[in-house]
Amino acid sequence: MDRRYTVFRYLAYSLELLLLFILQTTPRLLPEIFGSKPLLLLPAAITISFFESEIPSMFFGLASGLLLDFGYSDNVGFFTITLTLSCFFIGLIFRDYLVISFLNATVFIVMFCTSLLILHFMFSYVFAGKGDVFYYFSHHIISRIVYTFVCGILLYFLNKFLYKNLRDS
Amino acid sequence: MRDFFSTKSAKILIATLAVILVLAILGATGNPWVSSAFSFITNGLSSVTANLTEGNKDYETLKSENEKLKQEIADLRTQLVDYDDVKSENSRLWKYYKLKKSNPDYEILPASVIRRDTNEAFYSFTIDAGTSSGISVQDPVITENGVIGFVNSVNATSSKVTTILSPDMQAGAVDKKTGESGIVTGSAVLSDENRTAFTKIDANAKVKKGDIIVTSGIGGVYPADLILGKITDIRYDDYDAAKYAVIKPFEDIKAVTDVVVLTDFKNKGEIKKGAD
Repeated sequence: MDRRYTVFRYLAYSLELLLLFILQTTPRLLPEIFGSKPLLLLPAAITISFFESEIPSMFFGLASGLLLDFGYSDNVGFFTITLTLSCFFIGLIFRDYLVISFLNATVFIVMFCTSLLILHFMFSYVFAGKGDVFYYFSHHIISRIVYTFVCGILLYFLNKFLYKNLRDS
Repeated sequence: MRDFFSTKSAKILIATLAVILVLAILGATGNPWVSSAFSFITNGLSSVTANLTEGNKDYETLKSENEKLKQEIADLRTQLVDYDDVKSENSRLWKYYKLKKSNPDYEILPASVIRRDTNEAFYSFTIDAGTSSGISVQDPVITENGVIGFVNSVNATSSKVTTILSPDMQAGAVDKKTGESGIVTGSAVLSDENRTAFTKIDANAKVKKGDIIVTSGIGGVYPADLILGKITDIRYDDYDAAKYAVIKPFEDIKAVTDVVVLTDFKNKGEIKKGAD
């Protein structure tokens, strides 16, 4: 069976994740909005999972999680585990139970971006006892969630485009 | 549920999670090969992109920076009159090429910022030098304008730097004028303004605006007399009314691109008598 387009699509996703990692971590490249920058890899992995089945989704979640964790702490950790699991189940749900629509995509991007960023904030900031919890949440986390969500919508259309145009007949 | 766990997908998921768990445990126990391997792959790209954006500042930014610098020079000149003793020593210290000369015990290593983490509260960053260059955890990171932070974690080719704006920073410090001692540490509120705090000072301490705060050298993590910043405000904690001073570092921590790591200095790791 000719799976040439699937291979190209996976390569395109991989390149996308690498470019987003560079965009996200290079100093002075992305503008700050209300003191925050988006976590581009988070919605990228989630939106890829809308179009792929659970195993490829899981591996793209794993790759995104590794890039996020190594960009942050030099260690395998929170995002690797949560994105691997999340993307696996998103891939499963969209394969078997939900149709891919803009509304469904928006709900999932909001739900996963918000919950994962808040959970990460709890583990890396609140439980670490760094102080000024409410200030940091209201001045950085909320704007980061909104910024990440807006980028997530753009990434949804990008990945939809890749899926539609790089698909085996 | 039992059906789900017997599927091929679920088995692959469980196997992947097991591998992740092993890698996480290896990393958490201080095994650097995972992060070293990752850094080897990504650092080249990060170096290229960081260099490309290094001079990427618009006219307005440069203009405002220029004005700030002029103001800073004027402030420093005023202080120099008052702090003759400190200023001459410090102004020599601020230049890398003179740093080594004035402190022959310093082993210095210049490094560039290659990554900044978007998800970290206190502007930590990654530099392009690691254990292969002689860097180890807790090494002080400075510029010609003073202390920037310390090396938080290190692998073969890169190191993470926690900045002076972070609450994780706990540097023994003294007011150069009054001799009052305390701890310099950061907070979320102050870090947004590129400020940090001089805490644990006596309620009757005579610290005041404009005083220069330097490292005490007690504890053996930082050498003595490295500049941390100058006091811009005296405040009282909302909860326990403890007195603390707000410090403005002489460097814009959020925008720093080139730093120097002090890989060794006299009395490194030695705790002086009288340390807390």
